[in-house]
Amino acid sequence: MCGIAGRFLNSTGPIGRDLVDLMEAQRHRGADSTGFAIYGPPVATGFIVRAMGFDRDRLGADLEDFLAVLRDHGSDFLADPVTDDAGTAHVSIRMVIGEPRSLADWSRQADGLCDRIEIQSVGKSLEIIKDLGGAAEVADKHGLRDLVGTHGLGHARLATESEISPTASHPFWARPFPDVAIVHNGQITDYYTWRDRLTRQGYRFMTYNDSELIAVWISDRMSQGMTQGEALKRSIREIDGVFTYLIANRVSMGFAKDRFAIKPLVAAEIDGEMAVATEEQAVRTLYANEIDVINYDGPSLSRTWDIAPGRIAA
Amino acid sequence: MSDIEIAVGTRPIREVNQEILAAAEAGHKVIVTDTRSRHNLGIGLPAGARISFDGSVGYYCGGLNNGAEIEISRNAGWSVGEAMAAGWITVGGYSGMAVGASMRGGLIHVKGDAGPRCGVAMKGGDIVVEGRIGYLSGFMAHAGRIIALGGAEGACADSLWGGEVWVAGPIASLGVDSKVVEPKPEEIADIEALLARIGINETFPNWRKIVSAQQLWHFESRDAGAWLMI
Repeated sequence: MCGIAGRFLNSTGPIGRDLVDLMEAQRHRGADSTGFAIYGPPVATGFIVRAMGFDRDRLGADLEDFLAVLRDHGSDFLADPVTDDAGTAHVSIRMVIGEPRSLADWSRQADGLCDRIEIQSVGKSLEIIKDLGGAAEVADKHGLRDLVGTHGLGHARLATESEISPTASHPFWARPFPDVAIVHNGQITDYYTWRDRLTRQGYRFMTYNDSELIAVWISDRMSQGMTQGEALKRSIREIDGVFTYLIANRVSMGFAKDRFAIKPLVAAEIDGEMAVATEEQAVRTLYANEIDVINYDGPSLSRTWDIAPGRIAA
Repeated sequence: MSDIEIAVGTRPIREVNQEILAAAEAGHKVIVTDTRSRHNLGIGLPAGARISFDGSVGYYCGGLNNGAEIEISRNAGWSVGEAMAAGWITVGGYSGMAVGASMRGGLIHVKGDAGPRCGVAMKGGDIVVEGRIGYLSGFMAHAGRIIALGGAEGACADSLWGGEVWVAGPIASLGVDSKVVEPKPEEIADIEALLARIGINETFPNWRKIVSAQQLWHFESRDAGAWLMI
């Protein structure tokens, strides 16, 4: 059991605070780890990279190696990387980088360093922040409540099939597509079949979390030219298991739900803004008064919400 | 005796439920406000209790009901009236997945639609849904009746062991090991008497009564094909 949430606003606003509220209300669905995908004010040039280092004591040396790969691809840090000061062995890193010649080629090579620094998101706007503990704990550590943006995703994890670790938590970035992230509630039962197939095609998996498969699978489909909406529909036929997952990019958010219809999803669309969550009571933390909600309870459902360009911060 | 109003808000549910129980045992009708779709409201209430939830409730409202009369003015989340033994629950709007899961007796009346697996594993009692019942409704029910006036979504009455699913509207598809049988006039009269008791006086010309085809009662591996519904 896990809990997921999505939120978009009419204009740049307190998206971090709203997502923390949505996730704290679903803490009982899993508090092993909690993660957020925040779509904040975009950078004009280059990309924001969110990454995790695994050894704080030798972070300087690891970042130098990371930078060397970046320079090999015609890019550089545009500002000094910023890290959390929590004192844990693992460390969250925020970087702003110049545009590499090929994002796919650079990220593939940079993933070779993933035992030391693992890339968690790359985007003009997307920042994935995830860590151990419940929503409030992760929010306090990473200053989530202060983050502004237009939209985002949240995830509370109850690990059932794989290890608990900061990087095995959600959201997952659909590498190498900038700004694409997923969160998932469920179990993928043909995980190893798909993992083997996609690994043979050259994809690298960072974790043994079955949910990562959805991100990689989506990447593969998008590489073949499929739109996000088409990929959502196709996943219902091709991926086996019980799942409800949310996907977001800079201009839209969507979900897909399997044919067994176990994992719930409730959405409220109020005055052009939207909150979606596993549980209605989480949505009600943002809307205390009675509201009309849509229960996506049926089987084989998918939907995409357009986040109008006017909503995106300039 | 005067009504007692209890607000939920962000208070601990255990505290709210203890207040509801105490007020009901003292003989008051209880009006519960500011419900915020919170879970587990009004669990294990005794016969004679009268509770009205003014708003939408979350999961498991009215679960383990022992005879209380419970009214929910708007929507209910998962498993309203789960495992109830007796009593009467009315949901004014939509009722989420697994309405009356494993219930043994009493009546649940949903005025809107119901989600998937309505009446899953029920062992007795009646569920009346004025709208449509969701995907896989009646799944593995053992006894009792599900009555859907607005129709049924796919895989209706899938793997039904016993009990009956009555549908007055269109049925998207039947689930495995279920069959439609011709209802007897006295059975229809019995159903319509139940509907009249909860204020539905319409007559429905097109009743379908669905029961177990009993092919899965004695499962053998060579019959595996019968299970493959998807």
